[in-house]
Amino acid sequence: MNWKRGDYVLVYYSSRVLRFDIFISLSVGLPRIRAAGKRDRIDLDSLNEEHLEEQFVRGSGPGGQATNKTCNCVVLKHIPSGIVVKCHQTRSVDMNRKKAREIMQEKLDIFYKGEDSGVLKQRKEQEWRKLEKRKRARERLEKKQLFKENALADSKQGEHTR
Amino acid sequence: MEAFSRLYGRFRRLMHLHTVHRRQQGLCAAAKVRLSVQQAADVWARRFEEAGVSEPGPSSQYIVAHVLGVKTMANLEPGILGRTLTDVQMQQVWELCGRRLCRMPVQYVIEEWDFRDITLKMRPPVFIPRPETEDLVSFVLADLQPAWGAGFTVLEVGCGSGAISLSLLQNLPRLRVIALDRNKAAVDLTNENAHRLGLRDRLQVLHLDVMQDAEKVLRECGLVDVLVSNPPYLFSQDVTSLQPEILDRFEDLAALDGGADGLQIIRQILSLAPHLLKDQGRVYLEVDPRHPPLIEQYVEEAKEVGLQYIQTQCDITERPRFSILQKTRPER
Repeated sequence: MNWKRGDYVLVYYSSRVLRFDIFISLSVGLPRIRAAGKRDRIDLDSLNEEHLEEQFVRGSGPGGQATNKTCNCVVLKHIPSGIVVKCHQTRSVDMNRKKAREIMQEKLDIFYKGEDSGVLKQRKEQEWRKLEKRKRARERLEKKQLFKENALADSKQGEHTR
Repeated sequence: MEAFSRLYGRFRRLMHLHTVHRRQQGLCAAAKVRLSVQQAADVWARRFEEAGVSEPGPSSQYIVAHVLGVKTMANLEPGILGRTLTDVQMQQVWELCGRRLCRMPVQYVIEEWDFRDITLKMRPPVFIPRPETEDLVSFVLADLQPAWGAGFTVLEVGCGSGAISLSLLQNLPRLRVIALDRNKAAVDLTNENAHRLGLRDRLQVLHLDVMQDAEKVLRECGLVDVLVSNPPYLFSQDVTSLQPEILDRFEDLAALDGGADGLQIIRQILSLAPHLLKDQGRVYLEVDPRHPPLIEQYVEEAKEVGLQYIQTQCDITERPRFSILQKTRPER
């Protein structure tokens, strides 16, 4: 397989996303993977940790084994823009920090790029796809109705002529 | 606000009924009152606060979310919050919150918890993984990941529910792990979690005590690339001033008590490490914030131990929490 850097390859991966990471290695020039079935990856600017301020609801206790605090909400602030992201999607601090950063990346993309934002473009495309799907479904339904009516009309006509 | 007070009044009378007649009546009396998701969470948060249960808000939210099949309330669509709970759901919320009223840790109440990217079953008295330990796994991964853990073996001392071992296995597809614990319940729980995550084939769990069965540990574990541990490291005197959730013996206190200076098990691990590690193999430990300078001093003074202190890392609260050491090459 002679892939070049920058080629796209379609890969189906299992629900355990991290297993899929085996196949990615930009450093050895393997192609970028576009995951099938999930939304396409957009290239977002990476975050500069120095611009971020993180807050955890941990309290002032000793921490570690001496404490059992369950509130793992993460609050992430981007200082230059003032955007604040609050994440409590999981019960793991590590995962909440990662997801907060993902959300922050998307928000910054919209904030700095406006209409050119890849995030906004992707959302518009998804909306458009949804509308198209509904339109097609409606058309199919109308065709079915028409066919039924015609079939009924034909059968009635057939009865009269007998 | 008035409506809430009226509702709360009804709830208080029902709670009284509930506690008195719980055994006699099979189905929870509270099922006769219809509460929405948000109302149930609020009512129990208030009840927990009155009873002096720690983290009253988060506790009720985690329990309600769990009954609804999600991890946190943040995962519920806004519309769902106003939806009325079914009879079965009400009963489940009441039963679980009743356990929390007894100060049982939330993780034991809902019998599961998240650790990094995996969800683990929790069962008393097996030690509940703490968020700080997630960073310990990050440091091990940072060193092993470049090589994708190819053919590496990790030894974990004191695996508890299997959090560290299973998180490493999940992220490094070619890694092998040997995990030890002196508590049979922890061994069983680690095996159960490994089975649930489909990681059983690369994990070996042994019922061994690093203090009592040192020779057996050396015999059975062979030479490994990495030794990782979150050993009991609390100072004995501090164990008595713990939160009620911990002190009420839901969690095995032996998983916390590290002796007078908290270093009893750590010292044992460090003395065994050079015999368990391959050359240049590393030790990653989670410790008390007072320990890193003591550990550094210990390996400096006891050069024959054969370990070199590499670095101290801080946890998310900026406290020195992790010690990393390396086996030095033997001098020829």
